[in-house]
Amino acid sequence: MTTTHRQESHTAAPLGSGSSGPTGSARRAGGRPRLSEKKRDGIAGYLFLTPWLIGFFVLTLGPMLISLYLAFTKYNLFTAPEFIGLDNFTRMFNDPQFMQSVQITLTYVLVGTPIKLAAALGVAMLLNYRSRGTGFFRSAFYAPSLIGASVSVAIVWRAMFNSDGPVDTGLNVLGIDVGGWVGNPALVMPMMILLAVWQFGAPMVIFLAGLKQIPGELYEAADVDGAGSWRKFRSVTLPMLSPVIFFNLLLEMIGAFQIFASAFIISSGTGGPAGSTNFYTVYLYQRAFGDLQMGYASAMAWLLLVVVGIAAFVLFRTSKFWVHYGGDLK
Amino acid sequence: MFYKHSRRTAAAVAATAATILVLAGCAGSGPAATEGGSEFDPDAEVTVNFTWWGNDDRAAKYTEAIALFEEKYPNVTVNGTFTDFPAYWEKRTTEAAGGGLPDVMQFDYSQMDSFGSRGLLYNLTPEYGVNIDVDAIPETALSVGDIDGESYALIAGTNAWAMFQDETLLESIGVDPYEGGSSWEDYYEWIGEVTAKGGGEITGAADPTQRIQNFELALRQDGGNLYTDEGELGFDEDDLTEFWESAADIREGDITPQQRIEELFPVSGFGANIAASELTWDNFGAGYLADSGKSVDDIVLTTPPTSDDSAKDLYLKPAMLLAMSAKTEVGAAGAKLIDFLTNDPEVGKIFGASRGIPASETQRDGAELSGQDAAVLAYEESITDRLGDAPPLPPEGAASIEATFWDLGKSIDLGAVEVDDAVKQFFAEAEITLNN
Repeated sequence: MTTTHRQESHTAAPLGSGSSGPTGSARRAGGRPRLSEKKRDGIAGYLFLTPWLIGFFVLTLGPMLISLYLAFTKYNLFTAPEFIGLDNFTRMFNDPQFMQSVQITLTYVLVGTPIKLAAALGVAMLLNYRSRGTGFFRSAFYAPSLIGASVSVAIVWRAMFNSDGPVDTGLNVLGIDVGGWVGNPALVMPMMILLAVWQFGAPMVIFLAGLKQIPGELYEAADVDGAGSWRKFRSVTLPMLSPVIFFNLLLEMIGAFQIFASAFIISSGTGGPAGSTNFYTVYLYQRAFGDLQMGYASAMAWLLLVVVGIAAFVLFRTSKFWVHYGGDLK
Repeated sequence: MFYKHSRRTAAAVAATAATILVLAGCAGSGPAATEGGSEFDPDAEVTVNFTWWGNDDRAAKYTEAIALFEEKYPNVTVNGTFTDFPAYWEKRTTEAAGGGLPDVMQFDYSQMDSFGSRGLLYNLTPEYGVNIDVDAIPETALSVGDIDGESYALIAGTNAWAMFQDETLLESIGVDPYEGGSSWEDYYEWIGEVTAKGGGEITGAADPTQRIQNFELALRQDGGNLYTDEGELGFDEDDLTEFWESAADIREGDITPQQRIEELFPVSGFGANIAASELTWDNFGAGYLADSGKSVDDIVLTTPPTSDDSAKDLYLKPAMLLAMSAKTEVGAAGAKLIDFLTNDPEVGKIFGASRGIPASETQRDGAELSGQDAAVLAYEESITDRLGDAPPLPPEGAASIEATFWDLGKSIDLGAVEVDDAVKQFFAEAEITLNN
C-alpha cells in the first residue's frame, strides 16, 4: 500500500509542478529545501503522535519529575515547597502506619497473586476441554473482571461480608461462627484477597490462549510414554506455558502492588478497621489529599515505583531458570 | 501536500495558543472588589459556581433555594455541585493549589485558617450593607468569620455539642433516658445498664472517648482547650492517656462492639438503631431520622455529661459558613447569593435547622422551626448556662488531627493498639500535622 502510494507521488510530482518543468528542482534547491520522503513520513508520524506526546510530557513525565522533586520537600499545596533532604524517606521507617501499610500490601501481593493465578490457570484448563457451553462459561468466568474494578462491586462485597450478610449466614449454616468480616481486622485481608481472586478473568483468558498453543502431539507422545495427567501437567503443560505464566505473574504482581479502589471503598476511605485496609496506595492518598503532606506522599510514590521496578527486575532475572521459550535447548 | 497542511496546522495552533493566552490574560485581570463593595448589575448575565458538602437531602434543599434565587435574580444562573465532607476538602485544597476555587462555597470553621489566612478567600467586609445584609446577624456570630478584623466568611447557622437518645428504644427495654448534665461516671453506668438489658441487640452507646469533641469537653470542664491561641495542642500525653483510660471499664462489653460500628460506617450505631445514645452535633437529628427511620418523637436531645456542672464547657459553633473565592469574577452576584441563602425567610423554611439554627434572625423567624428543628432550637436555648466562649480558631490541620484521634480511638476499641501506644502515635502525628 505504502509502496504504491510512493510510486504514485513520485510520478505525480513532475506533473503536478507542470510549468516549472526541469527547472523545478533547481528552484526548490534555491528556495525551501525539499525534504526526503523518509523525513516527511517521519515528521508526519510525529505530528500524528503529537496529542499523545503532549499528554505524555504534560500529564505523565512532567508531574513525575515534579513529584520527584517534591519527594525531597515539605509541601502542603499552599506554601512553597521547602527542601528537607531525605527527611521524608527517613520518616517512613519511624512511621508505624507506613510500616503497617507495607506489611499488608506485601501480604496481599505475595499471597493474593499466586492464588489468583492458580485459580485462573485451573479454570482455563477446565475451559480448554471441548464440551458444550464452553463459550457461555468463558464469558461467565470473565464477567467479574469486567465489572470487578467498579465501585458497585466493592459495595456489594462489603454488604456480602457484613454481619448477617450472605457469607456470615452461609458459614453459620456450616457451623462456623466468625461474624462479619468487614469489621474484623483479622478477616479483612482474606476478604480483600477473595475479591481479587474472583476477578481472575484477564489472566484466565491469556492462559487459555497459551493452552491452545501447546501442540497436541506433545500430549500424545506423553500418553505413549504412559504419563498420567499429573505428569503431563508438570512436564508438558507447565513448561510450555511458562512464558505465559511469567507474563501473567508480572502483570498481576504490579497490579496487586497498586490496589486502591476496592480497599478505599470497602473502608469508606478510612483504611480501617484498625488500619487493616490501609494499603500502600490508600495510605499514600490519605497523606496526600487528606493531610496535604504532598512531599511525604511523593516520596512514598517514588519508593513504590522503585520497589515495583526492582521486583520486576528480579522476576526477569529469575525467569531464565524457569521460563522456557519455544526452541530453547533446556 | 502534507507540508502545506502542516503549515496551516501550525498557524492554527499558533492562533489557538494566542487566543488561550489572551483569555488567560483576561482571567487574570478580573474586576476586583472596590472599597464600597461591588455593584450588582441586574442586566448582566452571570453564572455563579456554588458548591457544598452534604447528602441528597441537603442537595434537594439547595436546589429548591437556588430556584428561588434565580427567580428573584433572573440574570444570574447558579451552578450547584456537592460531595461528602472529606472529599469536599480534598477537592477544595486541590483547586486552591491550582487557583480554581468555585465562586461561592459552603465553608467550615476548621478550614478558615488554612484558606483565609492565605488570601484564598474574598474579603466580604466591603459587601456588608451593600449586597449582603448583616443587620439581622448578632455581632458575636458575625465575627466568627473574621481574620485580622476583616470578614472572609459569613455564618449561616450555629450548632452545639449534644447528646441524642432514642426514648422509644429505651422504653422497649425498660430503661429511663440518661438525665443529662451529670458526671461521666453516671453516664457510663447508664450505658452499662442499657447494654445489660438490651439483650445483645441494643447497647448504651459507642465508646464516647473516640470523639475529640468529648475530649474537648473534658478539657474545657477543667478550663482548658484543645488548641492554644498559638495553634498548638492545649493538652499533654497524661491528659490524653487519662481520657482514653477513663473508658476502660465500659470498653469490656458495655459499649457497642466496634466491629459492628466498622461494618455500619458511615452510618453510626445510633443511626442504625443498635445504640441508644450518641454524643454529636445537635443539627445531626435530620440525618439520624433519615438513617434510622425513627420519628421525631422517638429522639430526644439532652445535655452531655460534665465533671463540673458550673463549667462553661459547651459553646455555639458555626455549623457552617458561606465564603467566596478571592479570584471570583462574579463579585456582586456571588454576594447576593450569600445574602439570599443567609437571610431569606423562604430559604429558612426550606432548610429548617439542618444547616444549624439560622444565624440571621429574619431567616430564623421565617423558618418557623417545628419538630426536630424546634427541639434543636429549644436545646440551644436550654444550655445558655453552660455556654462558654468559643475556643480559639482551630489551627490548620485540625481536621486531620480530629480524624487521627477518631481512628486511634477505634483501634483501641478493636484491641489493635494499647492506650499508651495510641497516645504516642497521636502526638507524633499531631506534631507532623501542625508543622506541615
